[in-house]
Amino acid sequence: MRQTTLSVALEVKPESYDHLSGLLDGLRDRRSRDPSGGKGPFADFLNLVPALHFLSLSVFPGFDYDPLFVIEANFDGRPGPFWNQLESAIGPDLRTMLRCCKRPLDNDGPLFDSITALDARAPIAPYLEARTLTPSVYHHGNRGMPRDRILAEGKLFLASRDELVSANVDGPNPYRRLSPVEIHARLRAALVPAFPWLEQPAPQRITLLENIGDWLRLIAFVLGTVLVLTIPGLILSLALPWERYLILLGVSFVIFALLLKKIGVALPGTAIQTSFSFLKLFVRLALPLVLFLLLYVLVAAAVLVPLALLLAGQSLDAAWYGMLVWLGWGLLSLPVMLAGLILWLRTLERGDSAQDAPPVDPRMLREMARREDWIPQNHMGSVVLIKPGMLRAIIIRVGHFGLGLLLRIIARQGYLGSMRTIHFAHWARVNNGSRLMFFSNFDQAWESYLDDFIEKAHAGLTLAWSCGVGFPPTRFLVKDGASHGRQFKEWARHSMTVSRFWYSAYKDLTADQIERNFRIAIGLRKRTLTPKEAAAWILDL
Amino acid sequence: MSALSSRDVLRPGPKGIKAWIQRLVFAAMPWFFSLLRRVKPVAKLSGMVLTSRYDDVREVFATDAAFGVVYKPKLDVIMGGQPFFLGMHDTPQYHADVAAMRKVVLPADLPMLAVQTEALAATIVDRAPGRIDVVDTLVRRVTFTVLSDYLGVPEPAGGDLRVWATRLFEFQFADGGNDPKLRADVDEIAPALRAHIQDEIDRRRADPGKDDVLARSLAMQAAGEPGYSDDQIRTSLMGFIVGGPPQPPMVVPQAMEQLLRRPAALAEAQAAARAGDDERLRRYVYEAMRFDPLAPGLPREVLTDWTIAKGTRHATTIPKGATVLAAFASAMMDPRRVANPRVFDPDRPASDYIHFGYGLHECFGRHINHATLHLMLKPLLVRPNLRRAAGAEGRLSKNGAFAERLVVEFD
Repeated sequence: MRQTTLSVALEVKPESYDHLSGLLDGLRDRRSRDPSGGKGPFADFLNLVPALHFLSLSVFPGFDYDPLFVIEANFDGRPGPFWNQLESAIGPDLRTMLRCCKRPLDNDGPLFDSITALDARAPIAPYLEARTLTPSVYHHGNRGMPRDRILAEGKLFLASRDELVSANVDGPNPYRRLSPVEIHARLRAALVPAFPWLEQPAPQRITLLENIGDWLRLIAFVLGTVLVLTIPGLILSLALPWERYLILLGVSFVIFALLLKKIGVALPGTAIQTSFSFLKLFVRLALPLVLFLLLYVLVAAAVLVPLALLLAGQSLDAAWYGMLVWLGWGLLSLPVMLAGLILWLRTLERGDSAQDAPPVDPRMLREMARREDWIPQNHMGSVVLIKPGMLRAIIIRVGHFGLGLLLRIIARQGYLGSMRTIHFAHWARVNNGSRLMFFSNFDQAWESYLDDFIEKAHAGLTLAWSCGVGFPPTRFLVKDGASHGRQFKEWARHSMTVSRFWYSAYKDLTADQIERNFRIAIGLRKRTLTPKEAAAWILDL
Repeated sequence: MSALSSRDVLRPGPKGIKAWIQRLVFAAMPWFFSLLRRVKPVAKLSGMVLTSRYDDVREVFATDAAFGVVYKPKLDVIMGGQPFFLGMHDTPQYHADVAAMRKVVLPADLPMLAVQTEALAATIVDRAPGRIDVVDTLVRRVTFTVLSDYLGVPEPAGGDLRVWATRLFEFQFADGGNDPKLRADVDEIAPALRAHIQDEIDRRRADPGKDDVLARSLAMQAAGEPGYSDDQIRTSLMGFIVGGPPQPPMVVPQAMEQLLRRPAALAEAQAAARAGDDERLRRYVYEAMRFDPLAPGLPREVLTDWTIAKGTRHATTIPKGATVLAAFASAMMDPRRVANPRVFDPDRPASDYIHFGYGLHECFGRHINHATLHLMLKPLLVRPNLRRAAGAEGRLSKNGAFAERLVVEFD
């Protein structure tokens, strides 16, 4: 089942900021079914939106722009039906909130008018659809797990616990005497009547087609990036005799390398010790890299040869040979191009401003703290300004795109590296690409979540966020940066706003527990397990 | 034979090539609307504006200030000029009349109606000799018996309430061609039904009898509550009888036909029926109805120049006086708002369904339908080896907009 992450960011009339915040608080309080009768933290009424995993409604204040109203949604299936379900659940509330927003100056203005006019009845789903932002990077923790399946497997887990605990309560627990294979057989027999779906084959979380698509997209991205980076070299190789071309590349590389050596070291007080090393990474990847470059030459030649045939009228053999040689010359320029870009980046990084003590509104901080840690899950939303400049603009677009494709390959089945706490997270550019917005639905406390990131995924986090104004000092896009734990946390807090309205469809389940439930269910769907499989399977019980 | 004493609920339908063409047109309608949704979401066609997308249909139903109901002229014929809220725009009288009826048609009645519906359907199925016509023998009998008893409108002497109500329903909702023969029938039936209900009002005023909608209305009248004059009570009861019971015999057999076309769904619906899981069963029936709802759509009269789907690429201005068809059957198949519309999925959210309209004129009896429609099929579904009867009678036949016959067999 396809999962979708998206957001809608709408500028708010400054004078309506407080009113909109109040509306969100009111929605949250009014719909709560807290059995104590008080104002509970959750909006259970959204259980009526069957596609939904997580939803948040936030308003970001700001000095640089007018306030921003953001709807962040993570759900199953396509956006159209989801917007319809959401409108059915809270349409009148959303319409009132949209009336607090500014009329778009672009072509969506008339659509905005039609839904916000006095006594307007037109559906609001088309407007939300029109203003939907595509994430620049997103991560789905329990990828391929529809909400219904998560809930069903959660119930199965509880039922299995009941069965294990309550079997023969008056005497010795029979499960203690059984082998893993027997435990599986007995537990399965006990649970199948109440969970008939255990007799059906498990739906694939990631289909073969999806898997192939993920790999093809990543490979195409890397091949395309290499081709683009070699374009200057390809052009120069046509213009210069090969000897001069080689001399130019060699001299340029040496100059770039010397300059990099000079400015590559961390500025005083900004270095963080890390086990990460570009050299080690290069050595580890040397063989795959060579193979990949060969693949690049072959694929690029296959794509470009027909063009050469058309333009130059060569024979096929000559065209192939000429293309391979030309691409080879272009490839030689790749290290020079990379060195030049890194030098440019490093120069920018040395001049970047990093905030040592970003101001945090104490009232906002209290509000954020008040709404955190009610359940095992938490939510955060953040908006930062993006650093100016062409290279930054390219890096944030290409870097995020590539990171997104890479995450689809490496982050499957609940884990991002060794992190097991993220349900859904995404970045998106707002305000015409001048600000970067981040949303995350995660397990455990905010502090421990960021500590987890700082310890285990600081390189990726730095890559994704280093284009933010005020981010801790970075080196070569991935080093230092988020490793400045305290500074990074303060910067993150400073960029956050209160999650005024937040919904989770399975508020008792952590991302790790969902994977555990999945593994238990997969085992129970099988009629029999081998002793080895059963021994591994019972570890999750 | 006079229409008053006729026992033929449906008038003779077209035969031969005319009937064949009619069937062809009905069969092609989903594809036609699918095409419209894609290429011309707001299309002007032979004097009518067709809206086929979910958003636009909802907008038409919801914007009652611009899209009014078209029923008043024919309702005046049926009601003898007395206003009935179905024919009104968003006026204070509309709200007063609806509110008055909501005081006598109570949510607390629903469980009782559900029990009566299921019990009567079970009795009919039990007495059937292993085969039954779902349209007439089962659903029509159950609906008219239960609802006429609930409303307090008995069978007229020398007449058949099923015939009278269905004939008036056809005139009101399914007589696009203004058939003069049908009008002649209506001119006989409408005054007779009015007189019949008025007689019953007079009789029950003297002898209140059992607790039903009529008795409650008369009690309100006696207490001096506004909205319960004889004219108002008679008109409301007549509106309920004409607008209500003729519909389940159309839509419930259509749902049965859709289930019979899907053996897996039928088996699951049967399992729900056998397990006594009425809510689950209702979901199967509602989902089946989505594939063949009551009608392709409902007409609305444009009260003021209005731009529908304003701000979208298919925004269209419709002039005052035009008639718009809000094609809710098409809307429920719109993949832009309904997830996998071609898939039979009983777990759909309520927002996927517009069976009973939307907005001001959403069906007054929707809660009664919600409580009872699926229970009319339940006794049939619990029977083993439920199957179509052999031959043509085992497939749902229609007479114009009406379901005519669907015979099923069981052990």
